[in-house]
Amino acid sequence: MTAAAQLPRRSSVLRMADGGIHFDGVKAVDGVSIEVRSGEVLGLIGPNGSGKTSTLNLLSGMLRATSGTIWLDDVDLTRHSMRRRARRGVVRTFQSGRVFGRLTVRENVEAAALGAGLRRREARELTEEILDELALDGVADDRAERLTAGRVRTTAIARALAARPRFLLLDEPAAGQNETEAVELITAIRGFAQRRECGVLLVEHDMSVVMGTCDRLHVLDSGRTVIEGEPAAVRSDPQVIEIYFGKRH
Amino acid sequence: MKSRNRILDTVQTPALLVGLVLLVALAGATGDVTTARVATLALVSVVFVVGLSVFSGNSGVMSFGHVMFMAAGAYTTAYLTIPVPLKKTLFADLPGWLSWLAEVHSSFPVALLAGGLVAAVVGLVTAPVVARLSGLQSGIATLAMLLITYNVLNSWTEVTRGSSSMIGIPRGTTTWWAFGVAAAAVVVAWLYRCSRGGLQLRASREDFWAAQASGIAVGRHRATAWVLSALVCGLAGALYAGYLTSFNVNGFFLTATFSFVVMIVLGGYLSLSGAVVGALAVSALQEVLRRFQDGRFTGGNELPAGVADLIVAAVLLVVLVKAPYGLMGVRELRLPRRRRGGGAERRSEAPAKEPVGAA
Repeated sequence: MTAAAQLPRRSSVLRMADGGIHFDGVKAVDGVSIEVRSGEVLGLIGPNGSGKTSTLNLLSGMLRATSGTIWLDDVDLTRHSMRRRARRGVVRTFQSGRVFGRLTVRENVEAAALGAGLRRREARELTEEILDELALDGVADDRAERLTAGRVRTTAIARALAARPRFLLLDEPAAGQNETEAVELITAIRGFAQRRECGVLLVEHDMSVVMGTCDRLHVLDSGRTVIEGEPAAVRSDPQVIEIYFGKRH
Repeated sequence: MKSRNRILDTVQTPALLVGLVLLVALAGATGDVTTARVATLALVSVVFVVGLSVFSGNSGVMSFGHVMFMAAGAYTTAYLTIPVPLKKTLFADLPGWLSWLAEVHSSFPVALLAGGLVAAVVGLVTAPVVARLSGLQSGIATLAMLLITYNVLNSWTEVTRGSSSMIGIPRGTTTWWAFGVAAAAVVVAWLYRCSRGGLQLRASREDFWAAQASGIAVGRHRATAWVLSALVCGLAGALYAGYLTSFNVNGFFLTATFSFVVMIVLGGYLSLSGAVVGALAVSALQEVLRRFQDGRFTGGNELPAGVADLIVAAVLLVVLVKAPYGLMGVRELRLPRRRRGGGAERRSEAPAKEPVGAA
């Protein structure tokens, strides 16, 4: 049995109830309730400054909520650090990639697998599996700082997958890529997530990517929830058209 | 074949580094007294800087306090090897609860190990501080630890002889002892670097938040490296005491700290090879400059005091500007890569398939 095959399989829910964070009086996120379930891809969308990344930061533990609670099933994560959340399976990527630049791609992925508590041999097995799955094996021995922007993002995702996520929080993973590449990447993530029954929260600007890959959408504006539902319903919602799609048509 | 290549990849750097320090040891063992002294002290420096690189190289946090571990090793060696009658004279005013220090005695190898262990205990006590701090705060904290150590050693006269020299230490350190410990330090440092803890610590060096997001316990790995690093630097202190046979508390303060920081920064603090190359290069440079200053290369005309230090500092500045990561950068000493197919680059042998999402 491979290391990846030993990943957790039970159905879970990651949810934030009435979560909020304020910066010097500015409400970046204000009373947002959001829920991601195992095996689904939830798109978190909204115009610039709507609070998407802040919401992701709250869920991942990079920011501490000034109000509300965050739960993984029946475990209260609100006071947990980002590392403790990662060890429980809430794993994130960053907008800028933030790969371990002077480590090789293989070391990037293996370090995360070790961080998840795998033994060395299991970590190596999982690493090779992920490198192969995301077609990174050709650059596995290259230092991450020497990669193209696209490969940096793929490496960051590979690293997140190696951390054995139950919930994967992706912050604009397709930025800087053309539509075909972006859809290919998200499809790969979706396939990976479904095989492992992992929930995905996708923060993404590119609406074609979001509409093509998400099971549900959660729309934010000015730090508040506008609507949540299936992509078709969200797309036709007048409020969404006004605040978001309206700018594109 | 793949696993054979991986083993060769893993082994070649420490083997080359051990070969390099062996050359220095051979020069010391076969040369005159001066060469032996320079070679032995250079090897002691290698031990210390390799120890420092176990922490700073893997964590990316520069420490200005590691000389305190060297002091711990040196004082432990002194207490254990100075003949008992002499100790009773030197430490006539020992407090009652430490009177056993005047009676205890051991061979040099035992003192060497004890020096390393005592330094590791000091490391264990101070580890919680470095585990909790990062960046500039951590560097300042290590400097504060050095100040505390220096002041304790300088003021606790009954036990440490204060600013008076610690004398009467039998010469236990030979060039070959120094080589053996340096080779062991290189191997241990490399094994740690390649270990699961070492890899995770290096990841945290590259990006603290990304490491946290990957579940890496940065503080715990920093603490582990700190203690291991302390042990190696303690061994360097024991070798130092066993070679010089006398030392003074001032030998474990800012001058020594600066000298070792120059070595690791000049060589390249991110690589083990950088630590070894830096220690040897700066030791050689300091010796050449010392001879210049003494007038041996200038027809007996001595240079003004401090010129040697000025030149070392200037060299450091130039290196910092021209090569911020030192002479070795992040590279390790390796055998030249064998090229296949008329010199085709290894990269071109990679599978042609494009990574998903590659730009």
